Amino acid sequence: MLTKAEVASMLSRFPKFEDSCIGLPYAPRMPKHMVKETREVIAIARKFNEEVAKPLALKLDRRTHEDPDFLPRELIEEANRWGFYTMWVPKMFGGQGYNMPSSSFFLEEVASACAGIANVIGVHYLAVAGLIASGNARISKRVLREVIDGEKSGKPCLLALATTEPGAGTDVEEVDLVDKGRVTCNAKRVEGGYIVNGTKVFISMGHVSTWTVLSAYEDVRRPSETNIGFAVKTGARGFSFGGHENKMGQRACPASVLIFEDCFIPDDQVIMSATLVKKYSSQPNRDISQHYIDYVVSATRPGVCAFGTGVARGAFETALQYASSTEVNGRLLINQEWAQCLLAEMHKNVLLGRLAYTEANNANSLRGLYRILQIKPVYQYLRFMPRIWFDKVISPFLDLGLTSRVMGKLYFDHAKPEDQRCCSGWASVAKFAGTDLGVKNCQMAIELMGQRGLRQDAGAEKLLRDIKLLQIYEGTNQLNRLNAFKCLIAPAVPQAKVFEE
Amino acid sequence: MSNFNSDDLKPFADLAQSFAARELAGKVAEHDRYPFGGFYEDVLKKIHEVGFLNAALPVELGGAGFGISALCEILMNLSETDASPAGIIFTQSLSQKMLLAAGAQELARNLFSRSASAKEGLIAFPVYANPADTDVLPMAQSNGDDYTLTGRIELLVLGNLARQAIVGARTGPGPDYSFFLVDIDGKGVEKSEPVFTLGLHACPAVDVTFQGARAQLIGEENAGPVYFEQVLPRMNAAAVAISSGILRGTYSEALAYAQRREQGGRPIVQWSEVAMMLADLSTKADVAAMCVCQSCQELEQKQSGYESRICAAALHISELACEATVDGIQILGGYGYMKDYGQEKRYRDARMVQALLGSVPMKKLAMIRRIAETGTNSI
Repeated sequence: MLTKAEVASMLSRFPKFEDSCIGLPYAPRMPKHMVKETREVIAIARKFNEEVAKPLALKLDRRTHEDPDFLPRELIEEANRWGFYTMWVPKMFGGQGYNMPSSSFFLEEVASACAGIANVIGVHYLAVAGLIASGNARISKRVLREVIDGEKSGKPCLLALATTEPGAGTDVEEVDLVDKGRVTCNAKRVEGGYIVNGTKVFISMGHVSTWTVLSAYEDVRRPSETNIGFAVKTGARGFSFGGHENKMGQRACPASVLIFEDCFIPDDQVIMSATLVKKYSSQPNRDISQHYIDYVVSATRPGVCAFGTGVARGAFETALQYASSTEVNGRLLINQEWAQCLLAEMHKNVLLGRLAYTEANNANSLRGLYRILQIKPVYQYLRFMPRIWFDKVISPFLDLGLTSRVMGKLYFDHAKPEDQRCCSGWASVAKFAGTDLGVKNCQMAIELMGQRGLRQDAGAEKLLRDIKLLQIYEGTNQLNRLNAFKCLIAPAVPQAKVFEE
Repeated sequence: MSNFNSDDLKPFADLAQSFAARELAGKVAEHDRYPFGGFYEDVLKKIHEVGFLNAALPVELGGAGFGISALCEILMNLSETDASPAGIIFTQSLSQKMLLAAGAQELARNLFSRSASAKEGLIAFPVYANPADTDVLPMAQSNGDDYTLTGRIELLVLGNLARQAIVGARTGPGPDYSFFLVDIDGKGVEKSEPVFTLGLHACPAVDVTFQGARAQLIGEENAGPVYFEQVLPRMNAAAVAISSGILRGTYSEALAYAQRREQGGRPIVQWSEVAMMLADLSTKADVAAMCVCQSCQELEQKQSGYESRICAAALHISELACEATVDGIQILGGYGYMKDYGQEKRYRDARMVQALLGSVPMKKLAMIRRIAETGTNSI
């Protein structure tokens, strides 16, 4: 038998056990109740699919082709009625506080009916992640409070995240690239706040969101050191919308151009800036930016994998339905071996996609953004404490600078670099794995269905249009491969350099 | 860009290129709005005027009498910009070749030689199906001189523009079928609105329901499969040309974009991963062009097994085009996904072209079935 030290030594060699098998050490630490909650979430999503998403998906897609400026306001109101915009808002901010990994299962379900509709719900949480990952409890509380109120009043309050610029897509996802890139969205310090100028493109749900989590730069020549995040409200002077992008798919979810022209944003709407974090962190600005980006993408990329898995499942289910009801040469396709193998292959892709996002979320739970919330006593405490306690006792604390400092310190100074790398690397792997598998399944469905697959009213062609976007947003799959290399492989190879070609 | 090293074909390439530059470039997205935007009647008229619609029809029947190489050259060069007009020409050529395969020369002369306008001479055809693989074909009942059709045809291409169509129907319970010419503006025919399809929006299709529609038999009863197999090699070669054009289009667009778009402070063409993707696209485009050329030669020489080899080219190149258009979008990132750059359209169109003449699995199974039945890939 090996000594303890030998075991540790063996497992620390590349590939390190702790970086490659996350689910195993995580399993005993997972609060048991999360399973029950996840089951409930999936059931809710399935009910929503039956009652809302499935009957609407093709109609909505057609509608947006007839009227390219169409905005899905009724759908948003419906999702708001179902409580979807507060389900994963933490209880301390007044939300329903479902565990974050369960959102991936939810998104897979809804995306299996329609990726566009899934985005109408999911994109909101991309921005929620952008907000909460800043550690700024005060502004998070203020914005999320409006989301909660919007649910009660029936007037949805949604969040959008604005990062991509006309000349900078991949660049803004990566601190190593952004300094060489051409970002233009500038925030200039003035008395009491900032004046922002610049344009953001491809911003999902921009037109229909109340708050935008905006990423800008105090010095566009040194963006990695001067990254600054704002929460800016739709209607603010100097903030307007340009065109409505004419996308190939996911058309239920509008993509907007956001224009900032001398837009004044007061200091109390700054969610994160190097200067702000500097008050309690000793890290260089650049590392803080990297930390922040890593937190956000580690949380959101598994969600994109879930979208991809959902679309992969939509394709599988469409193909299965077709094969079960179509006879060729007098025999149902489902009873022909080649079709059975094809369907098994498609089903495998769905299962692998789900494993990928589950493991990436395990990483976040064990070593990342969700860690604190899932420590068993904390989880139980949050679960059983009555809402009123959060509103009356916790809530006032969130306004204190101290709370933000503590949260910020936890988020930025107490996170170990190897934990960040693990979470970010897994998130990237999940992202490109799940979306590539999704594309594969949509292609197989189209091929299987032949002529029928070409018609919008049969569903398969919409899946093929919808899925493609997933290989592009939240970092192209190429960037995600580079990030996976950087996070999971390069640390084991001293001579490896990334983004220095 | 011409892919043939023959001066004979250059005029055809030039003609198609200048047509594409004049009538299609810059308006591709607008034309693709159909059926939610207007149909490009003016372009269809010009396709007719320039002689593309009857390009492959023999001179004595009122056509231009171009060979397969010239037809492919035209289809390929048009498809580089927009594959929809190529889809229209493909459909029309298929209808014409089917008439000739069935020995209906007289009928063809009547139909095409007197057609003054573009629409008058159009013959619709359900190009996305091999009738042999369709278990539910319309039934045809003989009334002495002619037949009446009952049943449904899906995705009848050009059905909303043409007055007549060629469709397969069964006269008895067996698997064999016959081809009929049917007046789709006449009694007992109900047409749907243009079907909203994945791609080739400007090469529209409708669903048609026949209820006792009068139809004229083309050739012999139950000889449909024979005629279909007869035109298959030629039409497969034409499909290779369209896929090849889409492939070249997606590559050119991606290369041009990669040379001007900068990320990380340098043109993305200098990112070696992007360069790898471009190299794959370039390889696929070149292989496709060679396959077009080789398919045309095979068709002219008709050496044993040529049918199967051209079918292989169609399967392979359409697959390459489908793969390549995924990367063609990817290189343009978010912009590739928007209607403005043409890449997303190529991604959609490539799948339509792949489904021409029947689904991929059915084509593959038929290929191996032939070997099992005849000991060779030859028809």
